[in-house]
Amino acid sequence: MTAQITVTEGGLPHNTLMIYGLVGSLVLVYLTYLNTVTGTQLFSFFGGLGAIAALIWGSDTIKRLCSYGIGTGVPSAGLLAFGSGVIAMLLATRFGIASPIVALVLGFVIGAILGYIANNILAMKIPVMIQSIAELGAVGAMVMIGFSAMATGSFTFDALSAVPVTVLGATVNSFESSLIGGSLLAAIFMLGGIALQHGFNACLGPSEQQDRTLMLTAEVGFLSMIMVAIFSYVYLDLFAVLVSIVVSVIGWYYTYDQYIALSKRDAAAWLDSKPIVEPEGH
Amino acid sequence: MVENIVLGIGITALAGALAAVAGAAEDTESDIGSQGDPNSQVQLAPQMGFIHRIFNKAVSGEPPAYGLWCALGAGIAWVFLIKDVNPVLALILGATIATFVQGVYATSGYLGRTASLAKFGQPVYIDILKSMLSVTMAHAFVAVFTTITICYLMNAVLGHPFPLPLLGIVWGIALGAAGSATGNPFYGKERQYQNQQFGAGVPISASGNIVRYAEAGQRNSLDNGWFSSKLGGPASGICFGLIVFLELWRTVLFEHIAAGWGAIIVGFAIILVFVVIDRWIETYARKTYGPYAAPEEANL
Repeated sequence: MTAQITVTEGGLPHNTLMIYGLVGSLVLVYLTYLNTVTGTQLFSFFGGLGAIAALIWGSDTIKRLCSYGIGTGVPSAGLLAFGSGVIAMLLATRFGIASPIVALVLGFVIGAILGYIANNILAMKIPVMIQSIAELGAVGAMVMIGFSAMATGSFTFDALSAVPVTVLGATVNSFESSLIGGSLLAAIFMLGGIALQHGFNACLGPSEQQDRTLMLTAEVGFLSMIMVAIFSYVYLDLFAVLVSIVVSVIGWYYTYDQYIALSKRDAAAWLDSKPIVEPEGH
Repeated sequence: MVENIVLGIGITALAGALAAVAGAAEDTESDIGSQGDPNSQVQLAPQMGFIHRIFNKAVSGEPPAYGLWCALGAGIAWVFLIKDVNPVLALILGATIATFVQGVYATSGYLGRTASLAKFGQPVYIDILKSMLSVTMAHAFVAVFTTITICYLMNAVLGHPFPLPLLGIVWGIALGAAGSATGNPFYGKERQYQNQQFGAGVPISASGNIVRYAEAGQRNSLDNGWFSSKLGGPASGICFGLIVFLELWRTVLFEHIAAGWGAIIVGFAIILVFVVIDRWIETYARKTYGPYAAPEEANL
């Protein structure tokens, strides 16, 4: 009987979610390597799914961190995660096949340093600060490497920074039209940063429910994935782009529909063209 | 050389005009959605017992949100430009898709915040969602399209070294910051508290007691958009228009003087001029209107 109370109080415990998110995102990002193994580009969309797994984990981390009363800090937590994550992710792409693991570890390290500065030097004194910022750094790195892998089909620095272009019959590597050189990474940064904070930021309040918050994070994750699928039009063949778009649109439609159903479940009332319902005593 | 400068001045004027439109549209959009700092009172009202029919579009502060819409619009436009799509079409596609994302974020923000206020009896008014959404999306489209057009002009005509998505993130954040800083007081400090004495500030006892009834019927966010498009929107438009215009003007005219240092020195001079103007306005306002005084008894 006690187990049931725990579930209705807070849903899945944070550490369980963290392990699901960590392992899930690593495995899914690595599945994009099937592109190299099979010589196609069809498996790029796994990068986006990996990013969503990391976003769900990060969304729960933000909820845990922001439960210490930093209400207006929710969007900043998302951007802080990506600010530290982008350093880890860019450095990690130099490590070839090991890139996702290196990104995860470096994200933890950079986040832990930032968390230490915030907690001990800026004296914010929040018990879960160091662990949470470390997790957020790792989440930022994983989301960006996932979305970059989805857009370009690979997570190595060479593929992200140079694209072969045919000029006057000769093939040369173009930096300007690559993911990093063309700064599409900036758009991915914002897509991930806002998606990471939106789940908890949009659902915070006394009647917040974990399943609804995480469903919303998955919804905006899939929405970002649709956008990354459009970005991949530059780098991938049309069929791979279509596969990515179909997977992300189906995922987005399902999660959006579920999210609206969960909101309907939790709302005080669901009214159409009705006047203000004054509470008793006013 | 002279022709380049003449072309540059023309682009500067065009970009300034586009930025004025962008600022006005951005502020009206965010006020219809109660985004930015006025959001806290819309969020607080049901907890203090004031159930309302105001749209609560909780996405994030305006600078990060517009950083996303503009970076995304510019990113998608960049993708189509690389694929040799006509620039006008590419910019329209970018702005349209970014507006779709803005609309989805707006709906989920309203549903999430309102459902989480169930404990205080705030219902989800689904007609509010339907009727406000198209209006915020229309204003967001205008704001995003004009901003990414400015970015395209800078990159393609003036030869700015930053790629389009990076310019999008920079100018998107600047647009959100201009609208948030300039336009929000008209909504958050004035429109929400028309039931308080003018200039009284918001006393703690009045927190959450926002105006919920309109000239006719019950106030919704379209009434707030109507109000802020009158003063808050144009003020934000002037702010962002001046930022873009002066930034490009100093670069186009002075960047060839002293190997680029000319533009930097003129930039500092502009900041100094504005510091002086701001200080003068502040002291003038304090002298003229003074601190809030208790009403005097009529002397009969």
